Amino acid sequence: MASALKNALEDLLRSRRLQADEPLLRGEDPRGRALSTGIAGLDELLLGGFPRGQISEVHGACSSGRTALVFALVARLTRAGSLVAWVDPGDRLDPASAAHAGVHLPRMLWLRGERRGRDTGALLPAVSAVGTLLGSGLFEAVVFDLAGIAAAARQRLPGTTWIRLQRLLEDQPSALVLIADGHVSHGPAGAALAMKAAVPRWSGTAPARLLRGVGAEVREARRGLRGATVELQACS
Amino acid sequence: MFGALFAPVPPPDGALLDFAREFTPRVQSLGPAEALLDLHGLGRVWPTPQDLAGALLAAAHGRGWRDLHVALAWTRVAALVAARGRDGLTVVPPGQEAATLAPLPLDLLDLDDERRELFRRWGLGTLGDLGALPARGLAERLGVEGPRLRRLARGEDEAPLVPTRAPETFESTLELEWPIDGLEPLSFLLARVLEPLCAHLKDRGRRAAGMELDLGLVDGRRHRRPLRPAAPSAEARTWRTLMLLDLESHPPPEAIQAFTIRAQPTPARTVQFSLLDPAQPSPERLAETMARLHEWTAAGRAGAPALVDTHRPGAFVMETFAPGPVGAAAGGAAVTGPPGPRLALRAFRPPRPAQVALHAGAPAFLSAGSVRGAVIDRAGPWRASGDWWDVAWSREEWDVALAAGGLYRIFRDRLRDEWFVEGELD
Repeated sequence: MASALKNALEDLLRSRRLQADEPLLRGEDPRGRALSTGIAGLDELLLGGFPRGQISEVHGACSSGRTALVFALVARLTRAGSLVAWVDPGDRLDPASAAHAGVHLPRMLWLRGERRGRDTGALLPAVSAVGTLLGSGLFEAVVFDLAGIAAAARQRLPGTTWIRLQRLLEDQPSALVLIADGHVSHGPAGAALAMKAAVPRWSGTAPARLLRGVGAEVREARRGLRGATVELQACS
Repeated sequence: MFGALFAPVPPPDGALLDFAREFTPRVQSLGPAEALLDLHGLGRVWPTPQDLAGALLAAAHGRGWRDLHVALAWTRVAALVAARGRDGLTVVPPGQEAATLAPLPLDLLDLDDERRELFRRWGLGTLGDLGALPARGLAERLGVEGPRLRRLARGEDEAPLVPTRAPETFESTLELEWPIDGLEPLSFLLARVLEPLCAHLKDRGRRAAGMELDLGLVDGRRHRRPLRPAAPSAEARTWRTLMLLDLESHPPPEAIQAFTIRAQPTPARTVQFSLLDPAQPSPERLAETMARLHEWTAAGRAGAPALVDTHRPGAFVMETFAPGPVGAAAGGAAVTGPPGPRLALRAFRPPRPAQVALHAGAPAFLSAGSVRGAVIDRAGPWRASGDWWDVAWSREEWDVALAAGGLYRIFRDRLRDEWFVEGELD
């Protein structure tokens, strides 16, 4: 009787979509559900969102909107009550921007690197911390911010780094999202988003001119054919 | 069989109870000078009551308590009253309780002043006098209290012994035959001590809010490491991991000869989970993960960022990462949903010094290391200042787009008249 009632209630929850990100139900494979960003065009491009159990990457040039896009994912997850870790060897995250983007800061663990975080020696503890965070299984998403880190420093990491992290991640319900200036790595079923900055939008004339935002062009680098444009508003 | 101890000169608080517990765990404390002992089942150690009484008396003398009264009887009342009224050792044979107590004064019963005066007026002086009165007559004159006092005077029990619970300590010590040097052998020994300790905590419905690992080193020094995770736990595996991780960062200077683990017990917490919210992390796993990130947490480089109530740009503090319940913490944020994607600042810490060429009062060229190029568009200046009563700041902020690509937030420190790049807008 109790079991039947529970099943009925779970079916009801599933059908009514009572929450944007409803908790996992009994017997449901946590790796099956992708992490939605809440941006319709982008989720469509990602076939639902960033896949769990996989390394995904968001790469692009400076000011292409990489951080904004990942903030959108983190905001959605933390607001739904999930935990997110942000590993930041370059110490570049701005908490005020994260809060403006809707990130619920108490549910985001931030690991700040030191200033020397841009060389390989400092990347190793960050990689180790990413492994610890993924192994804990506590975090819905772990973001590893490698943007601004010299490619040479990244390439000096042990060759097995990303394979090892992918193996570690495979059995976990988490997603690892890399932010980088260029392609780093992604899992066999992970997403690879290549971002390209469009011309910024301004309004008004000096001295009352305002930066309105940027239309970021996103392309799924692995499939190569599909793309989307995401409008990023300026915080000011 | 019951025993009673009565000390005419009360020993220090708890000493009599500790003495009694050396013979039996079932001990009832009746104040600092009196204790009742349940001595049933001790016949294999002390075959006769006289042997047992002799052992009690010898132990008391060993402590220097030469005036301790010891009485053994088959009822607790008889033992207690005999101990109060007779010096040294008294053994009351079974069935002889009333006769043994008969010559003792009535004052040995806990009578109030009114009863004592009444019995004096009746001409009663001893327990035997009271015990000889008919129960029915006493009931008619004193109500239920009359027969009860008569039973006490005859050494008849009316209530069972209620043992006084010993104060519980959650502490365990292991002395090692050979000193150990290194964490790996210690790991096994910690498990040996922690598992029964945590099982004891669980049996009592407790968790450990903190533990202290006290290492005795070969040179006689102590190496104490207190641990206090964010949430109480009674999981031996979690505590062992936390201790090992702590010792990795704070290793003992010498080999370990003995160690003691002390737990600070706290009532177990019952958590009501929600069907609608995502599963919350187990506090034990969270504590373990944070301990594994010790290198980051110890340097204050891991935690949850929190904004500060100030207009000073870039102000924030790092707080301990301890996510609370979803509903309370989110404050309804989940209901409203996040705003659309917004440009984020990727900060340079500290802001990168820059050379800025101006044209008509606006930035025209920016040079700050790798951030360099002609400014093709700009918004500003946005002026802000504050904290004049403390460390004042005043700045003029611009958002600039460079010809080489990239959007940056730059500012001029108006107090020092210097330019900086605050960060990249991404």
